[in-house]
Amino acid sequence: MNSALNSNMSESAAKLVEMAKRAGAVDADALAVNDIGENVCIRNQNIETVEREDSQGIGLRAFVETDEGLAFASASSSDLSETGISALVNQVLTMAKISAADPDAMPPSGANHPPHEELLAWANRDQTEHVWSIEAAKLAALKCEAAALDYSDRIENSEGAEAGFGNTHVAYACADGFAGEYSKSSLGLSLSVIAGSGDAMQRDYAYSRARELAKLKAPELIGKEAAERAVQRMGATSIGTRQTTVIFEPRIATSILGHLTGAVNGRAVLQNRSFLAECNGQIILPEFFQLTDDPDHPDGLGNRLFDGEGTRCSKHTIIDRGRLTGFLTDRYAAARLKSEPTGHARRGLTGDTSIGTSNLILNPGRLDIETLLKEIGNGVLVSEVMGMGVNGVTGDYSRGASGFLVQNGEITQPVNEITIAGNLKEMFANISHLGSDLTWFGSMAVPTIAISGMTVAGQEN
Amino acid sequence: MNEINLPVAQETLSEMLSRMVPAGADDADLYLEQSTSESLALEEGRVKHVSASTHQGIGARVIKGEVSGHAYTDRLENPALMECARAARAIAESGSQAQPVLIHSTHPRHQLYQPTNPALATSMPERKTLLEKLDALARSLDPRVKQVFANVSSSFSTVHLVRIDGSLLSDARPLVRLNISVVVEQNGKRETGSAGGGGRFDLTRLLQGNEAERLTREAVRLALLNLDAIAAPAGPMPVVLGPGWPGVLLHEAIGHGLEGDFNRKGSSAFSGRIGERIAAPGVTVVDDGSIHERRGSLNMDDEGTPTRCTTLIEDGILTGYMQDRQNARLMGVEPTGNGRRESYAHPVLPRMTNTFMLAGNDDPKEILSTLKHGLYAVNFGGGQVDITSGKFVFTTSEAYLVENGEIQAPVKGATLIGNGPDVLTHVSMIGNDLELDPGVGTCGKDGQSVPVGVGQPTLRVDEMVVGGTDS
Repeated sequence: MNSALNSNMSESAAKLVEMAKRAGAVDADALAVNDIGENVCIRNQNIETVEREDSQGIGLRAFVETDEGLAFASASSSDLSETGISALVNQVLTMAKISAADPDAMPPSGANHPPHEELLAWANRDQTEHVWSIEAAKLAALKCEAAALDYSDRIENSEGAEAGFGNTHVAYACADGFAGEYSKSSLGLSLSVIAGSGDAMQRDYAYSRARELAKLKAPELIGKEAAERAVQRMGATSIGTRQTTVIFEPRIATSILGHLTGAVNGRAVLQNRSFLAECNGQIILPEFFQLTDDPDHPDGLGNRLFDGEGTRCSKHTIIDRGRLTGFLTDRYAAARLKSEPTGHARRGLTGDTSIGTSNLILNPGRLDIETLLKEIGNGVLVSEVMGMGVNGVTGDYSRGASGFLVQNGEITQPVNEITIAGNLKEMFANISHLGSDLTWFGSMAVPTIAISGMTVAGQEN
Repeated sequence: MNEINLPVAQETLSEMLSRMVPAGADDADLYLEQSTSESLALEEGRVKHVSASTHQGIGARVIKGEVSGHAYTDRLENPALMECARAARAIAESGSQAQPVLIHSTHPRHQLYQPTNPALATSMPERKTLLEKLDALARSLDPRVKQVFANVSSSFSTVHLVRIDGSLLSDARPLVRLNISVVVEQNGKRETGSAGGGGRFDLTRLLQGNEAERLTREAVRLALLNLDAIAAPAGPMPVVLGPGWPGVLLHEAIGHGLEGDFNRKGSSAFSGRIGERIAAPGVTVVDDGSIHERRGSLNMDDEGTPTRCTTLIEDGILTGYMQDRQNARLMGVEPTGNGRRESYAHPVLPRMTNTFMLAGNDDPKEILSTLKHGLYAVNFGGGQVDITSGKFVFTTSEAYLVENGEIQAPVKGATLIGNGPDVLTHVSMIGNDLELDPGVGTCGKDGQSVPVGVGQPTLRVDEMVVGGTDS
């Protein structure tokens, strides 16, 4: 990483805040982001695309005093020149004066910031953009796809292997004098292949993402997994409608955690948009369900020292032995919900803060997948879901799915063209098993999740 | 065209292109984009979220056969620009001579929308006042309305495209959108409803007149309707789809599968099936990016090809795919004006514009009356497709259980699932009431979002699996 560029980023952020105050803002904070990335896509053992990205952006949020309280506005720009910055400041101040005051407005100054020594320690992490080279990425993608093509002669086509790496540098500055910055490196390798031909084609995929090369899954393993999955799907058919247990593979179980964190989002609760709005402190999941948000985990891609408004992040238990410990908050939601800020403010270059997690970790169960299926007996093991049929206000859930029929504890056939439906509040309470197969997907670590009493709809052939 | 005010000097663009294009390249271009957007959002009766963004950047691209190199930067100055050109050329062997390129302006064929910022004529305070009025209206319609969210947004994007031969094409694209959603509450039970509209026209059109008020009433109506919704049925049954936005069926079931890249690579369930019957007689589906002021319309696609009306299915027979320049060249056909990118920082892909089915002859009331036991689905959220297996889903947001041609009760949102290559062969009646959607569609592919449109007349599909909970 070019150090001149780094100082340019944090200087831009600090300058924005300073100029906003001079232009009449009573409070302000700013973000500057620089993304550099490269990736290469291989298809059928030839290079298909090579891409390089270099982007930068600054964002300012400024608060002004009005008769009815504080009002704010925000804007972003990719123009870091003097004129670009001053145009941005003028624009935000003009808009803040138009914006309606909020009696509960939470100005950015005064958050519980991390101490200087922690900032220094974090600033030296992930400094390099050279987590990989384009040549090495290309070789990994070639190897990955070759492993899939060699796996079986039923792998008839490839949608390509993609390998990429990059670095994001973020600088944050606040009117209370706090300034912090950090870099995040990541790399990833993914592959999608097709088994069969004509109207019997089935596609599946596998991927790995990590902070450093040593933690990336071996290309051959990713290739083999994608191929194995595609072949296993061959001959999939729909099945008749039934009430049964649905078993979500780890890569799909991530979506169940997403629905849960969406519903315990303090802002959604304030807006009456959560089906868990009345469940604070209640037992909403089985006792074996323990969910933690860990902002400093060696395997997580979601690490952060401070959140989107400069609040120091720390490990947070969201679900403790089935009990919802509280809603996830930024400082605004915390004040209105009369709770402590949990350090979950998320911030883009434009817009108000929202709420998001860092690294979500669900404690695994004790059973490996074979034993788990034996205990369950009959059900549907889901390896892919489709569509967005999830209502966050009511918890009503209805999505397309494909996977495998489980009969008497054994996988008996691949299935597709089915739907799975229920209500998330009941689904959470009906989680019957967690697998021992804890798997990382970027910023989530999740085992297999089994939910009883769901409706599977389809058509027996 | 001297009036064009380029953010990068023509000589610099010429030098980039000269450095970029290796001997034997099939195609190359520079995509220079400047865009601004503004958004006002109301929540809890207050317009407290006012935001804007200003972005500019350039994308450089070189194509040789099936291989392409791309580079993006938003530093519109040297040396970043020349580094960008160098990176795009990385796919070519080094050593070949730079070709001098002379840049010359040409005009796109269409003028489908006004090349002006759609927000200029309506001040932010005016937009704020309107959102406050809509909030008051929604709350006055029914005491069960507890929350109102209203958002008005606009963007204006100017694209300058320099092609491999030095021709310079520009397109200035306005886009506006208004969205209302409400949360209603009755006896501790909550529901939500939303409505929206927009297109490539001035904000004044959307904010003056009755449209904003109509959308607000619609959002409240849907939310209240859902309070009384019963569990949706589970299992296969006949379905009647309403006109307009339910055309998302076409977008998912066949649209994506007919995009040129998947068909060139043989990964689509429709690969190699031109000339085959994939829909019932009477079914004709087109993709038309050249409709006046529609959300999915463009004067030219993002490679400078004029948009047009492409017939995908004619009277049930598959007649064509949607193409960008690279896939068209590799498949030996003409580009169809479907090469699109989310922004300068994304690669071009074959994408849909406005995709719809032409009207048939049946009376919509008569179509509904034929439904003995089934679902009448009038409104939808989004959908998704697996183009390889052909399986697709879309989720209802307004649907009714029908017995003997009579509407019985509204049902909760349910996902419908089907098989793209044969769902349209089960279309047994086609209404005479073709409608296009209100201008709210956004399509995602490979992580890129672009605005699109859909449409259809009322349709009867003899069998689809409905994914409710009531088995």
